[in-house]
Amino acid sequence: MSRLALEGVRKRFGDTTALDGVDLEARDGELLVVVGPSGCGKSTLLRCIAGLEAVDEGAIRIGEREVTRMKPAARNVSMVFQSYALFPHLTVRDNIAFGLVVREEPKRVVAERVAEAAKLVGAEGFLQRRPYELSGGERQRVALARALVRRPDAFLLDEPLSNLDAGTRVQMRTELRRLHREVGSTMVHVTHDQVEALTLGDRIAVLDAGRVRQVGTPDEVYSRPDDLFVGRFLGTPAMNVLTPQAARPFVAIPEQTVLGIRPEDVRLTADGVPARVDLVEVAGSDAYVFLDRDLVARVPAAGRPAEGAEVRVGFDRGAAHLFDEASGRRVEW
Amino acid sequence: MTERRQVALMLAPYLFGLFALVGLPAVVTFGLAFTEYDLLRAPSFNGLDNFRELADDDIFATALKNSLVFALIAVPLRLAGALGLALLLHRRFTGVGAYRSSTVLPTVIPDVAYGLVWLWLFNPLYGPINLLLRWHGDSPTTTAWGVQPPQWLTHPNDARAAIILMSLFTIGEGFVILLVTRQGLPSELYDLAALEDATAWGIFRRITLPLMAPILLLLLARDTIFSLQWTFVPALVVTDGGPPPYATTYVPLFVYRNAFEYLRYGYAASATLVMFALTALIVWLQWRIVRRWRKGFAV
Amino acid sequence: MRAGDRRWGGWRLPAAIALAVAFLLPLWFMVSGSLREPGTPPPRAPELVPRPISTTSYDQAFDLVDLARHTLNSLLVAALTVPLAVLVASLAGFAFLLVGGRARALLVGLSFAALMVPVTALLVPRFTLYRWLGLIDTWVPLVAPALLGLSPFYVLLFYWSFRRLPPELLEAARLEGMTPLSMWRRLAMPLVRPVTIAVALLAFIASWGNFLEPLVYLFDPDLYTLPLGLRSLEALDRTNYPVLLAGAVVATAPVVLAFVIAQRYFLHEDRGAGWLGR
Repeated sequence: MSRLALEGVRKRFGDTTALDGVDLEARDGELLVVVGPSGCGKSTLLRCIAGLEAVDEGAIRIGEREVTRMKPAARNVSMVFQSYALFPHLTVRDNIAFGLVVREEPKRVVAERVAEAAKLVGAEGFLQRRPYELSGGERQRVALARALVRRPDAFLLDEPLSNLDAGTRVQMRTELRRLHREVGSTMVHVTHDQVEALTLGDRIAVLDAGRVRQVGTPDEVYSRPDDLFVGRFLGTPAMNVLTPQAARPFVAIPEQTVLGIRPEDVRLTADGVPARVDLVEVAGSDAYVFLDRDLVARVPAAGRPAEGAEVRVGFDRGAAHLFDEASGRRVEW
Repeated sequence: MTERRQVALMLAPYLFGLFALVGLPAVVTFGLAFTEYDLLRAPSFNGLDNFRELADDDIFATALKNSLVFALIAVPLRLAGALGLALLLHRRFTGVGAYRSSTVLPTVIPDVAYGLVWLWLFNPLYGPINLLLRWHGDSPTTTAWGVQPPQWLTHPNDARAAIILMSLFTIGEGFVILLVTRQGLPSELYDLAALEDATAWGIFRRITLPLMAPILLLLLARDTIFSLQWTFVPALVVTDGGPPPYATTYVPLFVYRNAFEYLRYGYAASATLVMFALTALIVWLQWRIVRRWRKGFAV
Repeated sequence: MRAGDRRWGGWRLPAAIALAVAFLLPLWFMVSGSLREPGTPPPRAPELVPRPISTTSYDQAFDLVDLARHTLNSLLVAALTVPLAVLVASLAGFAFLLVGGRARALLVGLSFAALMVPVTALLVPRFTLYRWLGLIDTWVPLVAPALLGLSPFYVLLFYWSFRRLPPELLEAARLEGMTPLSMWRRLAMPLVRPVTIAVALLAFIASWGNFLEPLVYLFDPDLYTLPLGLRSLEALDRTNYPVLLAGAVVATAPVVLAFVIAQRYFLHEDRGAGWLGR
């Protein structure tokens, strides 16, 4: 168990820059979720930590050790792959034991640790089966057990939930949190799914175009986005963005800035600004109301207006975020 | 025209070919094996006479032994060579395309032309191989380390070795198939092995080999069958079945000579049948062994 | 570049170069041997290039045997065989995809079984069959295997490539009312062009180098294909190596040329893109 730190890590593939000076720290025993759109460099980040890709610049530390130039096996990390990477020719038991067997641990130790890991993830029931006989969720458990069995300093999880159906994904998400609490290890979990990031992480790091945009607890990042990208990336539907002109009926903001307001902060209120309802989408208990002023409001489904209705909308100045138009950075006001 | 009939039409030529060129001849071979047939008179049934004669035929015994020894040595070497090349050349690095092409080139040379090249290479006096071996030799007829160089075309064992040596350069087909197979293996498995500190040998033994085993088995069976056919051209063109008496007479040559030179078609068919049964037996054994070996993969 | 590559790069390159050179040696000695002056005394040391270089052997080879005629014959046979083989194999491969279910499993199984039967085992009955049909001493027995797609392997190769096409594509085509034949012509074939090229190349190599079947079925020297021409050359004088090798070069050049032109479709793409049509 150890902290894990990246300092100024850069990685290029030919002409494209995958990581553009990444500084990031996962504290000891923390579950850090790295989230970003596809192609933002998050998988590369994980592969660099694991040593599967060599970094061009910068340093990687695990615990007190600098591991930047170490080969993957010497870093003492384990990884769970998006495709699970289970060996098709081995049984579940042998898959879990793989890391211990190649390190030639004594048979007794292997048996003990495999049993222990299988119990932790709930895989005791199918140890004799082979990967192709398992469901997605079961494969996921085996992959997790295989990562656990070696008791590494850090766990790296590369979109481990993305190949599961929606129901199993939610269930495995809960299991993953429980597992993290029981094992107490440092984990870095990469995903493109912002809901997963917000529900799972102790802290989350938002990555875009090879740069870390913001790191913080889910609460901090959601309610105080450091820049426009982070604000727009987290939350469903995405944050409304208003130019000074569009914002004028509601509130005056300086030129060269934009105003961000989350749909759930847009209220239908009698003393608001008149607007017309273009479209209404009902998503279970909530409804998304698309208005003609470039605004989306998220309201309880029960109180939703009809399409084509004339309504009045408004929001609290305190709920709105202000960003610099050019750099996208947050502006205090 | 209905869809179903169109599909049937698309299949028709192939099915006809399968029937007329493989199925029917296979059945006829089986039938002819129990007859005396010289093309002039109608085949006459003679029961197991052909097989009794084969059992006492020293030439057939020699041909059979030669074929089996060839298969036993050449097939594993060819397969290992193709696998080695595939593992060496499956990644992208400087000029890899040129290396891949070079290794496949000897395979595309027409058999007879290929045989003629080796007839030249193996010439004991001025063939490039022995010239190289005799280079800086003490006397014109010995190698640098004082022994006589191989007499490829006149000494029985040297001639058998020559045929095997020739066969080791024509492994392009197996190479390409194994190359594609290796490239199709998921790279995550290898990433994982790197994280787990598996050695190069460990990766080969625990991941690459078992995952490629089904294709390797298929190639093993195919190469075993074809190795018995492959010997025909070299034996005819390079060594002419000799050196005397029958050092490089393999079953295909035996069959060819009996059928088309001595006009004993029934006898040739029965020799084919024996060979085929033996091949089937070998392939079945390989299958059994590999299956047992794969079961032993519980790490 | 992956982290592991540095470790491998070290010995892979020299090993690859050494092996590539070794595999080129037979071809090299074929050409260099053919350029020796016929009848000159044997060299005393290994020579990579003969001195003097002479092309007399080529003139003699064409004089001794009608190599021009044989080359033409080989070209004609290949021109008949290769397109027919590609046609039959691709049609059958596509039909495999369409029949589905147990019929398909049966067809694949049959093809595999046929693949395992060596030609030598079928020689005698095929000869009997052709003789009965009066087709000995014609090219029919040389072209006929094209009905098998030349080898069931090519049929399977087409089937595997078609299977890799997105199934929605065919479903969409079916909804549009396309017949199997028009799907084959307008959808499937254009999408697996690299495979078609690879199969055409392999079929050409096989047809061009075919020796056993012409040897058994052809007696009239006017019908001989190149491999039989080489065989006659060998029968005339087994020891006149430059002339034999000149013949070998003539027989080899077209396939090597075809291979060099077409090989990029199945050797140079990573993950074997062309070979299996991925």
